[in-house]
Parts: sequence; C-alpha cells; structure tokens
Amino acid sequence: MSRPVLLSAALAAALLLTATPARAQVPAAPDTALGGFLRELADSTDGYFGLAAAPTDTAGLDTVLVDSASRPARRLAAGLAPDYDFNRVDGNTWGGTLTLRDGNQEPGEPGFGRLAGQLARAVGPRTTLGGARYTNRLPAAGGSLALDLWAGRRTDRLDRDDDERALDFLRAFVTGDDASQYLRADGFAGSLDHGHGVWRARVAWRDLWHSPLATTASWNLLDRRLVTPGNLAAAPGRTREAGYALSLRWPWLPLVTEVEYQTASRRLGSDFEYRRTRAAAALDLSLGRVAALVPQFAYGRLTGDAVPQAAFYLGGGTMRSLHRDARAGTGLAVARLELVTAGDLLETLRLPHSGALPLRGAVFGTTSAVWGRDPYTGAVVRGDDWPGRRDWRGEVGVSLLFQSALFSPGSTLRTSCAWPVGPDAGGPRWSVSVSHPLDLLRFAPDTD
Amino acid sequence: MAASTIALFAAVLAAAPSGTARPLPSGPTLAAEDTLHTEVPPVLVRAPRVTLDEILARVERGERRRDSLMTDQRFLVTARLVRTGDARRAPEVLSEWVARVFRKRPDRVRTQILRDYQAGREEKGRPGVKVQLKARGGMDEEIVNFAFRPERRRQFRYRILGRDLVGGHVIYRLGFEPRSLLDPTAPHGVVWVDTNDFVIVRQEVGFDHSPAPPLLEDVQRIVIERTNVDGHWVLHRLLMRAEMSVPLPRVGRSFDFSMRFDDYAINTGLPDSLFAPPAKGKS
Repeated sequence: MSRPVLLSAALAAALLLTATPARAQVPAAPDTALGGFLRELADSTDGYFGLAAAPTDTAGLDTVLVDSASRPARRLAAGLAPDYDFNRVDGNTWGGTLTLRDGNQEPGEPGFGRLAGQLARAVGPRTTLGGARYTNRLPAAGGSLALDLWAGRRTDRLDRDDDERALDFLRAFVTGDDASQYLRADGFAGSLDHGHGVWRARVAWRDLWHSPLATTASWNLLDRRLVTPGNLAAAPGRTREAGYALSLRWPWLPLVTEVEYQTASRRLGSDFEYRRTRAAAALDLSLGRVAALVPQFAYGRLTGDAVPQAAFYLGGGTMRSLHRDARAGTGLAVARLELVTAGDLLETLRLPHSGALPLRGAVFGTTSAVWGRDPYTGAVVRGDDWPGRRDWRGEVGVSLLFQSALFSPGSTLRTSCAWPVGPDAGGPRWSVSVSHPLDLLRFAPDTD
Repeated sequence: MAASTIALFAAVLAAAPSGTARPLPSGPTLAAEDTLHTEVPPVLVRAPRVTLDEILARVERGERRRDSLMTDQRFLVTARLVRTGDARRAPEVLSEWVARVFRKRPDRVRTQILRDYQAGREEKGRPGVKVQLKARGGMDEEIVNFAFRPERRRQFRYRILGRDLVGGHVIYRLGFEPRSLLDPTAPHGVVWVDTNDFVIVRQEVGFDHSPAPPLLEDVQRIVIERTNVDGHWVLHRLLMRAEMSVPLPRVGRSFDFSMRFDDYAINTGLPDSLFAPPAKGKS
C-alpha cells in the first residue's frame, strides 16, 4: 500500500525538481512594477493557451541529438520531377526536370543557388525542348541581386507582358479556350534583379533565335472547337536585346509606377532593330475600411521593326471582355477603374459560409486602344504616340476575388463577367484568371 | 426563491426594534466631514504632446538600438504543437522540439537539437506531426517589429490606443492596421511600447480573414511577448491558435503553436570556433 504512494511521491518530487529550473530560467524583469504589469498580461495569455504556454520540461535536455556544426556547410540536394504541358502548337509535351540546389541555403539568401535541367518531348511538332536554368541570390550592397540565367529551347508567348502559363495549360487541355500566341525560342536569356524596399530595378539580356509555330493539336478534353485555331507567326530571326526595368512605390502616396525598356539593335548582332517602352501606374485608395478604389493606367510604344514578338497585345488580363491576345499593335493604352470591397462578400450578404472561403467583390470599367501596325492583318491603325478617338474600346464588369497563398503570395483568383461597351459591342464574356490586384503592373516592388 | 425572500423579509421585520427611540451604537461611528472644501486649479501644460509620428520614429530608433547592443546570444528554444482540447478530449502535445541556439553577428548560427518528440511516432501506423525549425543569424526580431520597420511604415496606419503608467514607465499601446484594403491577408494588431527604451515589449496580432485560405479557416489569436534579460529586451514567447478548414489526422481542426525562448545568455563573447565545422578526420 505504501510502496505505490512512495513511488508516486518520488515521481512527483522528481518532476518538481526538473520543472523548477525551467521556471527559474524565466528572467525577471528588472523593474518590479513593469515586470508585474507584463506578468499580469502573460498570466492571461497562459490561461488562454494552456498547455501550449507551459514552461519547457528540461529533464533529459543534457544530450545533443543533432548539432548543426557537425553538418557540412554546403549540402547538395537533388530532386527529379516529371513535367507535362499541353498547348495547341506543341500538343502533349512529356518530360522531366532534374534540380540541384544548396540544401542549406534559405530562400532569398546567398549560397550556391539552384540549377535545373529540363528535357521534354513535344509530340505535335516532334521536337525536343529543354535547357538549363540557374538561379541564385548574389550578395550586394543593401540587399541581394536575383540572378536568373537560362539557355536552351522553349516555347514562348508572343505577348511578353502577360504570362498565365498555368491557366493557359488548363484552358488548352480542358476546353480549348487558350488564345495565346506562341513562338519557338532557342538561345540564352539572363537577368539581374534588385529590389530594395520601395524600388526595384532589373537589367536583362537575351540572345534568342525566334521561329514561328503552327497549330499541331486541335483536340481538348471536352472536344470543343478551339477559340483560336491558328497561331500568329513570329518573325523568324535572331533577337539580341537589352532590357531595363525600374519600379517605384512613391513615398507618402499609395502610388506605384514602373517603366520597362527593351532595345534590339543590328549593332548588337540582332536581325531586328526596335525600341520598346512600356509604362504603368496604379493607385490604391482606401475608402474608409469599406472598399478600395484602384485606378490603373498602362501605356506601351514600339518603334522600329514592328515584329509580332515585340508588339503589344490586348485581351485577357488587360481587357477582360476580350480573349487573350485578341487585338495587337505597336501602341497600347489601357485605363481601368476598379472598386474592390474590403470585407467578405458572403458575410456582408449574411449568407452561411466557411471562413476558409473569403470572397470579395469588384466592379470595374476599362477603356483601351491599340494602334500602329496590327501583326494579325498587317494593317496600320492611325495614331503615332496616341490612338485616335474612335479606336478606343470600353467595357464594364464585375468580379469575384479569392485570394490564397496556394497560388502565390498576393495572387488572387478572379472570376469576371465583362460586358463590352460601344456601338459594335458583343455579349458578356466570363473569364477566370490568376493575377495581382494591381494587374496592369508587371514589375512592382515587393511589398516586403 | 420568492418564499425564502418573503421569509427573510419577515425575519428582518421581526428583528427590527418596535419603539421610536433608537439606542446609540456602542462601537465607533463613521462620520463624514462636509465643512472643508478643496479644489486643485487646472494646470495648463504648454509642452507639446509627443506626436504619433515622433513615437513611431522613436520606436524605430529604439528597436534599432536594442538590436545594435547585442553581439551574441545563447538561448533555449522550444517549439510546441498542441491539439486544443474540447468536450471529448483533453489537449495533447503533438510535437515538441527543443534546441539550444548560439548566434553571433553577423550571421553565425549553431543549433543543437536536444529534443525531437512526436506523439504518434511510438504508435505504429499512426502518422506523427513533426515541427522543424531553423534558427537564423539576425537578432533584430522582425516578427516583433515587422509593422514598425521603416520600410513598412507606409503599409500600415497607426493610432494610439492608450497609455498606462506602470511604476516609472509609461507604456503606450499602439494599434496598427494595413493601409491597403487590397490584401485581405494582411495582419492588424496592438503593441505595448515601453517609452523608457521605446522598445516593443508585447504584441497581439490578428487577421480580419484567414491568412491562408482555404487551408486555414481562422487564426484566432497570436501573442508575442518579450522579456528583459540583463537590460536587453528579447523574444520570450510566441503563441498562436488557429483552426484548419478540414480536420487533419491527429491534429484535428484547432491547434496551438508556441515558441518559447528561455535561458538567455547575451554578449558572453562566444568564440568563432564555436561555429566552425569540425575538422575532417576527427570524430
């Protein structure tokens, strides 16, 4: 009878003895009054969190299980993953990617970086795609430089300002709704990117042989007719191009602006001679805590050789009532005004819903124009630096927004219904896109 | 209830003296002085009150100074994942990870893992929940002052919620909320600032919507506490309660995550050799 009691007492004493140092480890605040004030708040926290807030049991902590000092400073981590892609010019594309990276390198920190080798077979044109890509963060004054180097053969979009790769795959594979225009790119591309709080800058270089592609796969899972059966031909030739980009979050103003400039020159060994400039600005105005008003504007201008791979495209993210790449030219102007609700729409409407599905609503109006040489028809729409009054097209629409870290930080899944406005306006168009709230910006500084 | 009230009332009536003359109380009597009056004249304070901008600037400087005063640290960190209890089952520690961490400027870190406990590991066929953390070299404790760093000032709107006089300290409670309404996952919160050092001593963070839908349904509460060790304010506890949208094996829907930092030794002059990898050929 007495033995279990003694054992229990001994165990309790041992537990108390081991628990005591843990309590003693909590350093007392130097000022009794302040310490007492903080302890009072901490006691309330203890009561709320219970077991999670309990002190550490230090019994058995005298043995080191793993010591980071015994690990090598650099560790090579390898990974192999299968790849699959589908679009109407390549058809099924099967392949795989082998990645090698510094296993001890934290994201965003300098190290050996990451090397990825990809090899894939495009069934439609019976060609092999692939290449090597190296990315790393290089230490630089006041931060780091993001290095991105690629060499190989790949399928690119003619619209270089808007890339919805994942959604294009789904549209092409499931419904045949993919309206992107494609070209083949062989060669090298590299960039250095530096972000420093309110500003971000990038320099880039590419030396690519561009060649046109034709549609090779006209099927899709739902066996629907392709929205865009053909594919706009790129101008074949070598493009040696230098690119610069700069963006800025303005101090004391909710304004973000950016400018991108690309230049290709025969003096650099390029087959094409052009200057391409794109500028955009976006305001983020809070209306109380109820809604955000977001005016955005983008302007683009191409001078020199009007090659399709350097043209500006309209549709999809830029004009939601149009299919992606529906209109194009050597000049582009887009202005959009959008009102986005701040609260959960379902909560506002008092509809039963889960907190895991917060939806916001938006109404928007857009006006846009392209001018100059149309790469689809070759016709020249009047306008030099600005479109004619009659060339503007408008739309109004509504969107449902769902923001999730599943897509990428800050990205929003948007379902929209947009109605064209004007004399030759058609019916409404539904679309799904993944974009950022300030979606006319391409190169905004990170919010962090 | 009514019957007992009536009975009590009757007893009180019965106990009350029936005569008109009241007997004088035998003990001391409390008397109120109503003949003397005093009035303190208002004092007009001409000194300007410290503005919110000035407070924010001082917090920024205070946090920078706090960081600059430390060259090395040694502490014990405990990360714990707890399934919160409900009517059917008690709370349970699912995973606990304890490590001793040595840090030295600019970016040297050594981590010695002392405990790696998972509740499901010893039971065959049941999945365990593993907490794995990596210590980083900096001592600026961004998790405490993220909303008050100079590069983030433009992202948040601040206001003074209150002041507490605690001994010789004035503690400001400052609220912060995101300026932009475009990011529904941005946090808001309250910090307690000790104006003697202009250092954040406590923080509570919340979210209007789930910060990671659709996996997380809600983050109910995040509390971050600092403690003073040898005159240095350092991170002491981080506690979070969150709810998943679908129950996870072993974890369920609601869980607590905590990180506790104890047993600090600051500026003890940790040698560089402590961080060097062991020489090859030696065991």
